[in-house]
Amino acid sequence: MTFNELVKKVFFIEILQGLALTFKTWVTPSVTRQYPTEKREPFPGSRGLHALVRDPETGREKCVGCGLCAAMCPSQCIYIYTSEGEDHKKVVDRYEIEVLRCVYCALCVEACPYGAIALSPHFEYSGYTREEFYYKKERLLENWDKYMADPRGAEYLDKFWGPKSSDFELPDGPETGSEERKAS
Amino acid sequence: MTFSLVLWTFIKVAIVVSILMLHVSYVVYFERKVIGHMQARMGPMRVGWHGLLQPIADAIKLFFKEDIMPSQADKSIFYIAPIIGVLAAIGSIAVIPMWDGFAIANINIGLLFILALSSVGSYSIILAGWASNSKYSFLGGLRSAAQVISYEIAMGLSLVGIMLLSGSANLTDIVHAQSDYWFIFTQPAAFFVFVVAIIAETNRAPFDLPEAETELVAGYATEYSGIRFGLFFMAEYAGMFIMSALAVVCFLGGWDGPDIRLLAWVPGFVWFILKVYAFIFFYFWIRATLPRYRYDQLMSLGWKLFIPLALANVVFTALLKLL
Repeated sequence: MTFNELVKKVFFIEILQGLALTFKTWVTPSVTRQYPTEKREPFPGSRGLHALVRDPETGREKCVGCGLCAAMCPSQCIYIYTSEGEDHKKVVDRYEIEVLRCVYCALCVEACPYGAIALSPHFEYSGYTREEFYYKKERLLENWDKYMADPRGAEYLDKFWGPKSSDFELPDGPETGSEERKAS
Repeated sequence: MTFSLVLWTFIKVAIVVSILMLHVSYVVYFERKVIGHMQARMGPMRVGWHGLLQPIADAIKLFFKEDIMPSQADKSIFYIAPIIGVLAAIGSIAVIPMWDGFAIANINIGLLFILALSSVGSYSIILAGWASNSKYSFLGGLRSAAQVISYEIAMGLSLVGIMLLSGSANLTDIVHAQSDYWFIFTQPAAFFVFVVAIIAETNRAPFDLPEAETELVAGYATEYSGIRFGLFFMAEYAGMFIMSALAVVCFLGGWDGPDIRLLAWVPGFVWFILKVYAFIFFYFWIRATLPRYRYDQLMSLGWKLFIPLALANVVFTALLKLL
């Protein structure tokens, strides 16, 4: 044992350092945020409650019922039912999300080619029954009006889910690589 | 004459014990606050202003919780164990002089009385561990037995120096003997051994092996619930209070305040309680800083360091006294 080690052991230098650290923490203000009375604004782009984007032109959902979100969903909690409407158009009859099973991965938002679904930053929703968390289309559209109405929703989609199909233009001229593909 | 004496003693006991219990419940609050802030948290905040009513809420909760008894437990011992703990812890307050001339029982063997009662208190832990008929409780009880035996010796030996210097085991006399200088200055080694030993004696972190949460669930108190668990809790904190008071009486000059004329009007009791709380704060501070010792470390520390150190201190003090 060297002399330094002996001094350290006899005078508990390390324990005293620890005591000094805890004392310093004791006199500095705590970092606790007292949640229900003291709320923090959620960070922009944080993933909370789901919302279906309402198209400002038609006043209806933007969703076309392609089912990409439901196919992509890792927890399989999106249910879409469509039917043929007038003029052979596809009509979304029901768009339902079982929120309790959602893992908030936002793959549905990523998958959607029309930017029709969003995760709003709202996170304080609780209830007493499981049925309350089976969100129907109307409720999802209401969520949009409540938490993502302009300009929040448009900003959110632009900022965090920017590259959409609308951002890309179709190339002029013939398709590249088509010759090789034909050859093979 | 006899009757009035008995009545007066009863009144004193009632007052002191009720004040002690109030302090005990608020020591819990004090601990949660101090440790919370030392961990950059806030501690209790929701019940009352800054959580001031938390101890009362806790007490009510403990009283109304179900008293569960394991079917294989040794029933009579299971019932008696926590009561022994509380009685031993509270009984010690009888000999503590809180200010000049005020002690419920001013007896000549006050120091020995406290040592004896603290040993009785460890019985409650051992019996609880045995009677619960559960391995966690049993291991906790065994650890407590070994720990108390090893540290009791060091603690007793560290107080021998005090008895040598003051020439008495009467706690009031010990405080009077410190009117010139406190014994912490003449007996620093004894003070150090005593502080560590009482942390082990009251089963507090970093020596809380009998109730080590991470290994033994709750140690000896695993099978206890409701107010019986509350009694163990009370015994622990009352024991802490008593041991801090003993440290103040033996080493920090008891009710002796600073010798300033401006503060002469302050009653001795205030100094006494201030010192006790400073000491209790030190307990919490240590708890917030140090992790729990391993069992063999605890034993080797006790037998290889503290007992020889205390013995050497006794011999040294006795030689000085002879010269």
